[in-house]
Amino acid sequence: MTEYSRLAKGYFTSTGAAKVINLPFQPDYVEIINYTASAAFTDHRVLSAQWDVNMGQGFAITQVKNTTYQTDSVVSNGISTFSAGLALQYGARQQVVGATKADPIVFNVTAHGYSVGDIVIFEGLYQSSTTGMPQICGIPFAITAVGDADHFTVKWNGNQSNYTALSGSPTGAYVKKVLYPYLYAPGVSYVEAITTGSTTTIVTTAPHNCVVGQEVAFRIPSAWGTTQLNSLPNVVIPGSPIYGYVVSVTDSRTVVVNINSTSYSAYNSNQPVASVSGQQFPQMVAVGDVNTGGVVISSGSALYPPPSVNGANTINGPAISGAFVNNTSQGFVIGAGVCVTDTAAVLVGANTNVIYWKAYLHDMSLPV
Amino acid sequence: MSMITNTSNLGPMILQSLAPAMLYVPTPTMNYITVCDKTSMPANGGTTMRFMRPRALTPPTVQLGNAGIDPPAQVPQRDIIDAQMAFFGTGCVINEQVILQDQEGVLAWVSERLAVAMRQAEDLILRDYIVSAASVIMAGGGGNGDNPSNLGVSDFSLVATTLDTNNAYKFMTGIEGMDRFGTGPVRSAYFMLASTELQSDFDSLVGQGFKSVWDYPSNSSALPSEVGSVFNIRILTSSEAPVARQASANSNDVYYNTVCGRQAITHINQDGYSMNLIYRDPYFSGMLAQNATLAVKFAQAQALTQDTAIRNLLCTRLSTLGGP
Repeated sequence: MTEYSRLAKGYFTSTGAAKVINLPFQPDYVEIINYTASAAFTDHRVLSAQWDVNMGQGFAITQVKNTTYQTDSVVSNGISTFSAGLALQYGARQQVVGATKADPIVFNVTAHGYSVGDIVIFEGLYQSSTTGMPQICGIPFAITAVGDADHFTVKWNGNQSNYTALSGSPTGAYVKKVLYPYLYAPGVSYVEAITTGSTTTIVTTAPHNCVVGQEVAFRIPSAWGTTQLNSLPNVVIPGSPIYGYVVSVTDSRTVVVNINSTSYSAYNSNQPVASVSGQQFPQMVAVGDVNTGGVVISSGSALYPPPSVNGANTINGPAISGAFVNNTSQGFVIGAGVCVTDTAAVLVGANTNVIYWKAYLHDMSLPV
Repeated sequence: MSMITNTSNLGPMILQSLAPAMLYVPTPTMNYITVCDKTSMPANGGTTMRFMRPRALTPPTVQLGNAGIDPPAQVPQRDIIDAQMAFFGTGCVINEQVILQDQEGVLAWVSERLAVAMRQAEDLILRDYIVSAASVIMAGGGGNGDNPSNLGVSDFSLVATTLDTNNAYKFMTGIEGMDRFGTGPVRSAYFMLASTELQSDFDSLVGQGFKSVWDYPSNSSALPSEVGSVFNIRILTSSEAPVARQASANSNDVYYNTVCGRQAITHINQDGYSMNLIYRDPYFSGMLAQNATLAVKFAQAQALTQDTAIRNLLCTRLSTLGGP
């Protein structure tokens, strides 16, 4: 070991989904042990695995209990490193085979490889030059459900008169994953639905990353209805922007804002295809907060917890809850890829399995 | 046998000479820091910078009358904006044999590269923060049928109107007209930070509202990266401006053009921690003192301090033009 090498270790309880490990470096070698499966010597489990950067991203050599102990490998969605430091990075474009005229919309994309919570954007969702659902192109959507390897769901009311189903792999219809959607938070969110009342409930297409006490502004284009929410114009004090405050966070995509919108116009997401060129999007923007303390501690947390973004801790120190924070990070991902021979064995383990990991970055690696 | 001594039978002992000057490193112009307000967070000041903006009070437009009774008092309100400091850094470990044997001043040019990398990081962080935090206006004034469309002059007018209506402060005072052929006055203006890839689109708007810098009455107040202006917007371009590749409704590249007024974005450092170039002699590197280190580190936070004074105007390119 020489003086500039980096070592790190840790453990986590698997959910069965890919696990992101943030580190102060990108490792060139990773090894993992599934403690739960190894102790119980469970069939169809990856007991341990290794990855070296020279094997290639997304690969892993595995030791598996099939019905007997054997070696195996994961050739995709294995172990990979990441450096999340620049915005507007995307995964590969994938052809959209079809989409349902429904609420929510179910997309058919062959072997999409996405997971719940991934953020995607669409392009070219035309069935013909005047039909389809191009109205939602360019909006970042969180995947809310994965039906199977070829189907996933995003929350949008496509069951309206101006939307038509997609079928037969329309030319130019693509989807791609937004690789690093929350490098800075909170920020601008696109509005999926608004419920008016004595308070106003906002549903966004992707996680809003707001907290209770967040101050928010709205940009609702006139075609979308509820323009009274807009921070300007202000007819009472001309020039003074009107803001709301988040009074509760229902879930990652839903907040309740303390604006009494009882008499406001109804929200309308039934936008015509003909108006797509130059179509504006309804947005909610975080503009401040009224909080005075940091994140509240919880069982097992640090005494001064960092802010979290989309449910995961940032690598920062403590900050005022609701502050603008930097969420750039690097490290590695243990994927949910399956072994080549034992296709029931998943690299990241089964739900509740305890996984130990070690990550290394070496001073010397031969050949250079 | 040859009688003539030439370089085939008596070649030079050393075949190469190093050119006296290094070649330039292609580096984008860094525009985002240009439009930021700058503020410093004090040492021992915690992790989070807090800004306060008073809200306007209701103007007393109702007369008092003659009753002699005071009107109800107003409760002053304010908006609070918090931004958390973050720390960044990078460096190089250079073995003493490199320093000892290399013909050029490796420590000098690596220092220079680290400094530029730090300043570029500062600008990229601001760029990506603005992409994530500022609301967007989709261009619709162009004729390519996409969403967003390519830029038309009406898009510039729309975004300037939006900022004017929001009472944003302009950066630049106008440039008065002069009696010089082909030039015209320039309005007081907001800045738009755009991609160099859009310059051909701007050129296509000559005669429709776009005025190149060479048509300004005087270039003395033009910034180095300024390509021109449209109405109340002066355009600075950089090759590092954000582009979402193949992200429009018709799968074209989407350009994020940040249009902002004063105080829209604030860049925050902490007690002068914004520029630290650190050299450690090999003496500090182990028992044989073999490796020197050169590194930079800085602290930076950023916030939209006037959300009403900034918009990202998204656009695609005019489809008939070629690629970059």
